[in-house]
Amino acid sequence: MIRYAGALLLSLGILLLPSVSGAVLYIDINAPGGKRMPIALPDFVVTAGDASLGRDLPETIAGDLAMTSLFDVIARPAYLERIVPGHFGGKPLSFPDWKMIGAEAVVIGKVEVRGETMTAEMRLYDATLGNLMAGKKYTGSVRGYRKVAHKFANEVLFAFTGIRGIFDTEIAFSARPGTGRGKEIYLIGLDGRDLRPVTDNRSFNLFPRWSPDGERLAYTSYRTGVPQIYLRNLADGKDRIVAQHGNSKSPGSFSPSGDSLYVTLSVEGNSDIYRAMLNGPGLQMVVGGWGIEVSPSVSPDGKSVAFVSNRGGSPQIYVKDFGSSAERRISRAGGYSTSPSWSPAGDRIAFTSFSEGKYSIFTVRPDGSDQRLVLSGNGDCVDPSFSPDGRYLVYTFRKNGYSELKISSVDGRWQRGLFKGLSGAGSPSWSPRR
Amino acid sequence: MKGLPGKKWMLGGLSVVLVFAMGCAKKELVKSTGTGPGAAVSAETPTGKPGEIVTETLKPEAPAGPSDMAGKQMAMAGIAATQEKPSLFEDIHFDFDKSFIREDAKPVLQKVAEYLKKNPGASLLVEGHCDERGTAEYNIALGERRAASAKSYLVSLGVKGGALSTVSFGEEKPADPGHNEEAWARNRRAHIVLK
Repeated sequence: MIRYAGALLLSLGILLLPSVSGAVLYIDINAPGGKRMPIALPDFVVTAGDASLGRDLPETIAGDLAMTSLFDVIARPAYLERIVPGHFGGKPLSFPDWKMIGAEAVVIGKVEVRGETMTAEMRLYDATLGNLMAGKKYTGSVRGYRKVAHKFANEVLFAFTGIRGIFDTEIAFSARPGTGRGKEIYLIGLDGRDLRPVTDNRSFNLFPRWSPDGERLAYTSYRTGVPQIYLRNLADGKDRIVAQHGNSKSPGSFSPSGDSLYVTLSVEGNSDIYRAMLNGPGLQMVVGGWGIEVSPSVSPDGKSVAFVSNRGGSPQIYVKDFGSSAERRISRAGGYSTSPSWSPAGDRIAFTSFSEGKYSIFTVRPDGSDQRLVLSGNGDCVDPSFSPDGRYLVYTFRKNGYSELKISSVDGRWQRGLFKGLSGAGSPSWSPRR
Repeated sequence: MKGLPGKKWMLGGLSVVLVFAMGCAKKELVKSTGTGPGAAVSAETPTGKPGEIVTETLKPEAPAGPSDMAGKQMAMAGIAATQEKPSLFEDIHFDFDKSFIREDAKPVLQKVAEYLKKNPGASLLVEGHCDERGTAEYNIALGERRAASAKSYLVSLGVKGGALSTVSFGEEKPADPGHNEEAWARNRRAHIVLK
C-alpha cells in the first residue's frame, strides 16, 4: 500500500508542478525500497570528435546512477527516437516515444571536440511533463572527458532528490606497479577508470590521505630510505615534508579546516598521535600512552578523534573528545579492531575487526552504540574509507595475497568492484567533493 | 480481487484530495531528512533552475605527478629500502601481535652484541617487520615496537644505543611470500643489518 501510494504521489507530483522554480522531491533518498525512476540515456550526439564519446559518456552516467539504487536505466535497444543536433537547437523530443517505452526521464547530450577542448551539453528532461529539469554546458579538456559525465550525474541526482552527488570524486590508494617491490600512490575514478599515478620513486609510498579541499594528498614515503610524511600539491606536483619527528610516521586525517594534519609518529618505539600544524612549525601530542596509539580519524566537526590503541592488551578503537581527558573504547566486535574512518556525515565510524576467523568491516556510532557488521566476505575486508556524503565505503578485499578495491553502499544495497589491476592494492582513501 | 474496486475509489478520492491540498504553490527544496546518513552534510550546488542551460568551465586537469626521484643518490636509497639487505645475523622472531624478546631470540642478539664489541665503530640498523595479517598502519607501529624491543635488549647487553638505529617496514617487506602460518611466523621478525 505504501509503495503504491508512493508511486501515485510521485506521478501526482509530476503532474502538479509543471514549471515552478523550486525543486520537487521526486525521490526521497532515505525511503527504503520503493519504485525506481525509469530513465533513458540514449547515445550522445558527437558533432566533432571521437565517436566512442557518444556511447562512453551516457554509459558513465548510467554507471554512476546505478550506485544509488534509485534509477532503472532502460536498455538502449528499446529506444525509438534518435537524438540529433536539432534537439539542442529548439527541436523538441518526441516525448510519447519515450513514455511508450516506460521512461519517465531522458538524458540527452551533444559533444564537440576542437583540439584539446571538449564542449559537452547535457540535458535532463522529465518525459511525463515534457520539460527540462536540468541543463549544463561544460567546457573542459578532452583528456578529462569522463568528468563532465560524472558532474552531470550529480545534477541528475540533485534534480530528483535534492541531494548533491559524489560521482566526480576519486579514490587514492597504494599499490605495487609490478616493477620492483615498492608501492606507489594512485588515483582512480569511482567507475574504475582514469587510473593515474601520483608518485614515481620506486620506494614504498603508503597511506594516502586527502586534504578537505581535495587539493593535497598526505602520504608516507620511504624514498629517502626512511619513512617521511609528504604533502603533495596535486595541481603542481610539488611535495613538502611534514612532521619531521621520530622514526615511523603516517598521516591520519586533516583537521576540517585543513590547517593541520593528525599523524602517527613513533619515538623510541612508542607510537603516539600528534597534530602537525601546516602553516607553521607546531607539533603537539594529542593522544599518548605507553601502548601503541595509531591511525587518527577526526570527526567532521573537528571536535573528536577516533584512533587505535592496544592499551587494553589488543588493538581496539577509541574516541577522544578534544578538551576532555576521557578516551572511550567504542569497538566491541572481537580481539583486534583497527583502521577507523569517521564518516563525513558525522554519525558513524567504520573500522576493521577480526571476528569469527576473518577481518570484516563494522560501523558504530561515535558513542559506541549500535555496532553493525556491514562488509564481510570469503576473505578479509579491511581499511574502510567513507564517501563525502557518508553513504558509501571503499575498502580492500584481500585473500591469500590477492587484493582488490571495492565500493559498497553502507546499507548494503549496492556494491561493485573498483580496481584489481595491480598487486598489493590497499589503503584506499575517498576524496572530498572538489 | 474482491476489494479492488473499493481500493480504486479510495485512491481516486485520495488523488482528488491531494490535488487540492498540493495546489500550485512553489515547493521548498527538500533536503535529506534527519534519518539518513547524509543528513548533516549541507551542500551548495551550481545547478541552475529547471528550464535553463547553465554553462560551466572545468578546471584544467592537474598534470600527472612529475617523477619525484630527486637526485640519483636519494633515488637509490628509496629503491634500496624496498630490497632485502643481506645480514650477518639471523632474523629474530616474535609472537603474533607481540614485541617481547623470546627465549629463542636471545642467543642471536648475544651474537650481535659480541660483534659490536669486536667492531666498536660499526653501526647497525634494526628493521622491524610484521606478517601480512591485520592492517597496514597498525603493522608499521608494531614493527617499530619490535625494532625498539630488539634495540633495548641489545642495550641491556652493553651495546651503546648510538650504534643502533631502527626502522619499521610493517607488513611491506615479508621474508616469505607465503600465506600460511609458517610464512607468517618467519615474517614476524627483526632483521639486523650493517648500516
